[in-house]
Amino acid sequence: MTMTRDWLLSDRPVSRRQARLGQIYRTWLDFRTNGLAMFGFLIVLALVLVAIFAPWLAPHDPLLGDLNHTRLLPPLSEGYLLGTDDQGRDILSRLIHGSRITLAVVALVAVIATPVGLLVGTTAGYFGGWVDTVLMRLTDIVLAFPKLILALAFVAALGPGIENAIIAISITAWPPYARLARAETLTIRNSDFIAATKLQGASAARIIWKHIVPLCLSSVIVRVTLDMAGIILTAAGLGFLGLGAQPPQPEWGAMIAGGRNFLVDYWWVATMPGLAIFTVSLGFNLLGDGLRDVLDPKRQK
Amino acid sequence: MIHSRFLASVALSALMLGATPAISLAETPPDTLIQAWSIDDIISLDPAEIFEFTASEIAGNSYETLIGYDPQNVSDIFGKAAESWTVSEDGMTLSFKMKEGRTFASGNPITAEDAVFSLVRAVKLDKSPAFIIGQLGITPDNADAMIVQTGPMSFDFKMDKPYAPTLVLYCLTATVASVVDKKLAMEHEANGDFGYDWLKTNYAGSGPFMIKDWRPNEAVILERNPNYSGDATPMARVIYRHIPETSTQRLLLEKGDIDIARNLTAEDISALQGNADVKIESGVKGSLYYLGLNQKNEFLSKPEVRQAMKYLVDYDTIAGTIMAGKVKVHQGFLPEGFLGAYNENPFSLDVAKAKELLAAAGVPEGFKVTMDTRNTPEITAMAQAMQQTMAQAGIELELIPGDGKQTLTKYRARNHDIYIGRWGPDFQDPHTNASTFAYNPNNADDATSKPLAWRNAWDIPELSAATDAAMVEPDAAKRAEMYIADQKTVMETGPFVIYAQEIEVMGERKNIEGVIVGPSFNDNSFAHVTK
Repeated sequence: MTMTRDWLLSDRPVSRRQARLGQIYRTWLDFRTNGLAMFGFLIVLALVLVAIFAPWLAPHDPLLGDLNHTRLLPPLSEGYLLGTDDQGRDILSRLIHGSRITLAVVALVAVIATPVGLLVGTTAGYFGGWVDTVLMRLTDIVLAFPKLILALAFVAALGPGIENAIIAISITAWPPYARLARAETLTIRNSDFIAATKLQGASAARIIWKHIVPLCLSSVIVRVTLDMAGIILTAAGLGFLGLGAQPPQPEWGAMIAGGRNFLVDYWWVATMPGLAIFTVSLGFNLLGDGLRDVLDPKRQK
Repeated sequence: MIHSRFLASVALSALMLGATPAISLAETPPDTLIQAWSIDDIISLDPAEIFEFTASEIAGNSYETLIGYDPQNVSDIFGKAAESWTVSEDGMTLSFKMKEGRTFASGNPITAEDAVFSLVRAVKLDKSPAFIIGQLGITPDNADAMIVQTGPMSFDFKMDKPYAPTLVLYCLTATVASVVDKKLAMEHEANGDFGYDWLKTNYAGSGPFMIKDWRPNEAVILERNPNYSGDATPMARVIYRHIPETSTQRLLLEKGDIDIARNLTAEDISALQGNADVKIESGVKGSLYYLGLNQKNEFLSKPEVRQAMKYLVDYDTIAGTIMAGKVKVHQGFLPEGFLGAYNENPFSLDVAKAKELLAAAGVPEGFKVTMDTRNTPEITAMAQAMQQTMAQAGIELELIPGDGKQTLTKYRARNHDIYIGRWGPDFQDPHTNASTFAYNPNNADDATSKPLAWRNAWDIPELSAATDAAMVEPDAAKRAEMYIADQKTVMETGPFVIYAQEIEVMGERKNIEGVIVGPSFNDNSFAHVTK
């Protein structure tokens, strides 16, 4: 154990791999000292584990309820830890299965929106001139719309459903990353090492992909993590309005919408998914905050 | 000036705010009945155009129709504005005599001229409910010749066929047959519109209440009619407040800020059951909840599949849980209380039987089908319950939510697979439902008449002929039998899974007495309410 540790923390790495792993390990050590960030990290980790093992963790079928016997049972009822909803379904099981939907939304939006934003931003920043003008004005146009409203319009046009909700959110999520990547690119594009690469005959694509993107990545990752909470809320908002996941899928936003009618007498139906959204959003926010602290190059000693 | 008035009103409201704790909050004025209801469906107050639930009820309390019936016993028909009537030998003319010595709220006398004017006007304006009179063979072109005044207090009503007299009389109990004050309406006529523009937001009737004011999505105010020929109403005023949230209605009712809450959910009802200040009044309504199975769908067009679907709805559970107190199980297309209503409910949830039927239809593994679902809480909840039971037989029901306009537009264009809907009868005669559930004279896409059978592309020449025959059968008992046969046919083979009949529920403060909850909305009466 200590050998691995020494190898990782060695100040004379003998291979690139050792240097890279060492860097990651140091970042991790740094991150670990931040208690709140660790808390956020644990929440996100728990979300991932719950999503992976959902069918084994859920005590009941999330889609099948017994209207005659298990309708609107309060929390802590026998066999139903968080109570049941108006269709007699176990809320805990629905939350557990719903974590898959939430995680899928977050992951897919990140996978779709981040590369698009990076590509647009770095291209605009690297080439400058009219390419920059066209791309950034396009970004400005998308940014000018309120996120949820634009997503609503897209979903209304594409038809409700979780896939379309993901596409709609991705379409509205990329502009901030483009902005960020462009700003980073502008500070790097005139550096000596870029000029040197150019002199060696590297193509623009190679320079952007191999030299600029990696340097923009850390700030974009921080930004994406901080945006995760917003993405979850947008997805829940679409679900609440009936435009995200369709019944009987246990999407958290849709669960809140379903429980709203019973709020006066059966508070738990809407409260439990609300708490789930709150916890996960908080987790992503804390994680993002911690990542910003450790990944910010200006902060490093 | 404006400034000082503003200051004064600010001062006044501040004063009132300060004073509120002193006066008792939880009390409505003793001569005013205040109701909370979602009144956003009102589009007009003209009886020739009213076709919505809320406006029908308002018209029922402020206008008088020619004929009326006892809300407790629909078959008891009597004259309201009309004194008596006789049917000619050939059955094609009804001669009416009007009641003497009665006046409109305006003070003008009610004569046969007003009655003829009202009916001709409704036909000629040709708004949504005009077909109720139009189906008796009266068109905008021949209306003047078919409805003729024969004396100061008498007129003839002619038809193109000898329709069953009860059918004609029930048609004349509908809101569209309300007697309108001709003199008053014509004073406000513009461009030959029979005063339609004015009457849309004004009042020219003779009922127990007058419509004083309608502020869309805010309130409707009714006031006692001093010239009403019956007993003066105990309440000087009836106010409908537009409160769309059901939980808000419930809280207002519990606090005593309103007298009657009109849109309570099943959960609200059960929660209010234990409240000593509140009582629940309910009455069976004519509206039916049903699924429409589009025959253009390759699976749903198989007769065994249609039959199987009827065994895959958990009727009793839906009526006992999600809709507890708000519906009762009913499976015939005529609601209970109608002439010829078939009140047996042969279907219940039977997954094994449904599977057998699906196997016989050649789809033992089930299939995938969509259902357009209006995104109101109750419809969505019922749809999800059906989704669960249908899944047990392998039918994957995908719900497509949308607002009322979206789903209905799709339904009317026959682009749905399954539509979960609600149907309210237009008048109290069985023909109103038979003519839509069991009548489809032309199944072509461009047909002019588009009853529910057409919307579900159900081609039924024989059943349509049977419905036509029942329409002109003069003998009531025979007619009832014909309708029962119709209903059995629709149950056995039809593309409709009719599963419940609506019960209207009102939550009332305990001191409210005399509310009448009738079978249709224009029968709900507040004329005898005391508190």
